[in-house]
Amino acid sequence: MEKAPEDVMREVVGDDLPKGMERRLVHRLLAYWRGLQIDDEFPSFAAIDPGEIPDIWSNTFVLEVVGNESDPVFRAFGDDIAAHYETSLIDRHVSEVPDNSLVSVSVGYLDEVLKKGVPISRGGDFQKDDGTEVLYRSILLPMSDDGETISGILGAANCREVEPE
Amino acid sequence: MKAFEIQTYQDGKWRINSIFDDRELALFEARRVDESSRYSAVRVIEELFDETSSKTSTKTIFRGGRAADPRTAREPDAKKKTAVKRTARGAANRSGARRPGVRRPPAQKKTSMAGPVVLLLLVIVLGGAAMFGLQYFEALR
Repeated sequence: MEKAPEDVMREVVGDDLPKGMERRLVHRLLAYWRGLQIDDEFPSFAAIDPGEIPDIWSNTFVLEVVGNESDPVFRAFGDDIAAHYETSLIDRHVSEVPDNSLVSVSVGYLDEVLKKGVPISRGGDFQKDDGTEVLYRSILLPMSDDGETISGILGAANCREVEPE
Repeated sequence: MKAFEIQTYQDGKWRINSIFDDRELALFEARRVDESSRYSAVRVIEELFDETSSKTSTKTIFRGGRAADPRTAREPDAKKKTAVKRTARGAANRSGARRPGVRRPPAQKKTSMAGPVVLLLLVIVLGGAAMFGLQYFEALR
């Protein structure tokens, strides 16, 4: 193998999944999504079997893009995600999600996913209305009915509150 | 702001496979993609966006598969050290009507004029040689 250029750093990556449940969620769902792919096409929602990912399904949500390209609509929420809200967000548009909440920060880069057509994962922190600091990680995965056109998004997110010092 | 882009080599060009903001996540995922042997080469590009200068610098932090092969690595690496200016508006373009659904960004096709030009020159040279040959044999008679 050719010697790598000087500005390339090689890192040893362990066999185990990265530490932290936030990262595991991302890797588990991304691996599942890749497993549904055929010839690098976007997977279909019809191919998803929640029973195959029971440990993370409660952290997922579904966005419908077709017909709502400028402001997609939420069609489903896992129990853990739904528990963050007093009222259901199902059938609500992205623009209607309360600010400073897990879902609002998790779909903050939705346009980039739609534009680039690839899975994107982001994390960070946000402050809830009561001042609680929250760390989160999320991933958005493009889905399709025909393999080529993004018709929806499968998202997942989890978070943990930061203990005040 | 940092971003880690996993790119895979397919059909003679590098394509974005997935994007992360976490180095460890990106490296782990890149290794998994590499081990799947689904692509001939895999690499991770670290992008650093300097908000004060609006410049993006990039460097490759992981190579897998045949990414070290000069035939696959040379072309993509040509732009490795270039800094690209971005505007905030361009980076976060949220406007614009889309057709139903969102089409996958098309891969760019590069066309080359070298082939037709060489063919044309060959025809001219052969034509000239044929005419010269005919005149030569005519003169011999």
